[in-house]
Amino acid sequence: MPRRNWILYATMFASLALGAAAWELAGHLTSDAFWAPLSTTLKSLGEVVHNGVLLRQAASSFELYLAGLALAVVVGAPFGVLLARITWLRVALEDYIMMLYATPMVALIPFILSMMGFGFAPKVLVVFLFAVFPVLYNTVEGARSVRPELIEVAHSFRSGEWALWRDVMIPYTLPFAMTGIRQAIARGLVGMVAAEFFLSPSGLGQMIMMGSQNFDTASMLAAILIMVLLGVGLMDIGLYLEKRFAAWRGYNP
Amino acid sequence: MTTALASLAVAQDRQGGPSPLALKAGAGIVLFALWEITVRALAPEYVARPSGIAKVFFSVLTDAGFLEVAAATLRAVVQGLAISVVAGTAVGLMMGRVSVVEHGLRYYVNSLFATPMVAILPLVTLWFGYSADTRLAVVVFASFFSLAINAADGARSVPPEFLEVARSFRARPLSTIFDVLLPSSLPYLLAGLRLAAGRALVGAVVAEFFVSIPGLGYYILYNSRAFKHNEAFVAVIVLVAAGVGFEASIKWLMRRYMPWSRRG
Repeated sequence: MPRRNWILYATMFASLALGAAAWELAGHLTSDAFWAPLSTTLKSLGEVVHNGVLLRQAASSFELYLAGLALAVVVGAPFGVLLARITWLRVALEDYIMMLYATPMVALIPFILSMMGFGFAPKVLVVFLFAVFPVLYNTVEGARSVRPELIEVAHSFRSGEWALWRDVMIPYTLPFAMTGIRQAIARGLVGMVAAEFFLSPSGLGQMIMMGSQNFDTASMLAAILIMVLLGVGLMDIGLYLEKRFAAWRGYNP
Repeated sequence: MTTALASLAVAQDRQGGPSPLALKAGAGIVLFALWEITVRALAPEYVARPSGIAKVFFSVLTDAGFLEVAAATLRAVVQGLAISVVAGTAVGLMMGRVSVVEHGLRYYVNSLFATPMVAILPLVTLWFGYSADTRLAVVVFASFFSLAINAADGARSVPPEFLEVARSFRARPLSTIFDVLLPSSLPYLLAGLRLAAGRALVGAVVAEFFVSIPGLGYYILYNSRAFKHNEAFVAVIVLVAAGVGFEASIKWLMRRYMPWSRRG
């Protein structure tokens, strides 16, 4: 078995090394406007790290991202749990929530642009719209899984409304809300870049855009690389959160 | 017993109140009324509202130009999905069954899956220019990785007994793939397709925004700039219908043909 592991690690490193070599080689073989070598990309990355541009732009992106995501969670999760408690409201709204969940929110960006202009608020609205429906949709899905017996039992023991929320509604819907938050973390990032591209240029989106407009492929690739790392990091955080609360699902079918 | 009692109680509850259908219709009316009232009270004349959309809905939907752009977008989505389904399934099945492939590709597939597809738009535009090829490439990029990841999960979950039986009967590799591996990971593939379809739709729209090629996304962009929000919103409705329709048909397929699978 240890020998097998060793082979797998070797494969992994070989594939990463091969990828890096291919990146470098592709940069030398094609025109500069097409693809830049890894070495040039890393040099350009070092430059933006050194002169503080990356930090400034990343901070601007993060401000937007966190504002939109936080708003989505603060609005989506409690409203989802509320729908878990009030059955008739859930029945009335769940199809519309499903529809909005399936709506490609990018399609609304031109409307937001022409109504709200270029400020910070419309961009937060875009991130919020991308992120809120996964939270809401999954929380409502979780709400449907709260077994009516549990509420019956709580009522039989004369639980107050607060106790019912604390002991039944929230613990039962939270794992599903976390699945929603994981999706929101990913979708919100797409929303962030879309807002930075199509509303007013700012943050990491602006860095990618500038690189492409100046035909400075190396700095564009550097910014995209940051985006990839950011995406991976955020996805890991989302998966961790989801796994952390998944145990609460218990013996759910 | 308790379950039966509880569901009886729920059923009685329902009998007392209005029927679910009435509730849903009522909620729809309230939502549309709220939209109409808010826009009338607060927003400028050009902003989309239900009454305005209803007025232009049929004339836009029967307009030949609109049908052409809608077909262009949906065709690109379907083509891109078809490419991704074939390529993603092939790569995913290999990753799920061959550990060298898995360890070689895992980092690339996972990190590109996590990459927001919008970020690569400028790069794809450099490669394919301001053309419909860019849109197709973005759709493929948006959908490929979720299909590959799900196909890999599916291939990994194939019960080893199935493969053992195939081996005992000396099944040829191709027939093992098509008769055992593929059918058994089908629920995973459909779950991946569901995810991929949503992403593909978003990919097509952002690509149209970016490179300004005829399609629903560009139709929205163009008309909203011309302050024709009602017309633009009809395109949004078509996009939503496409998204919901796809989602619903995959759900139906899974329930109809794979009732044993509980995924999604």
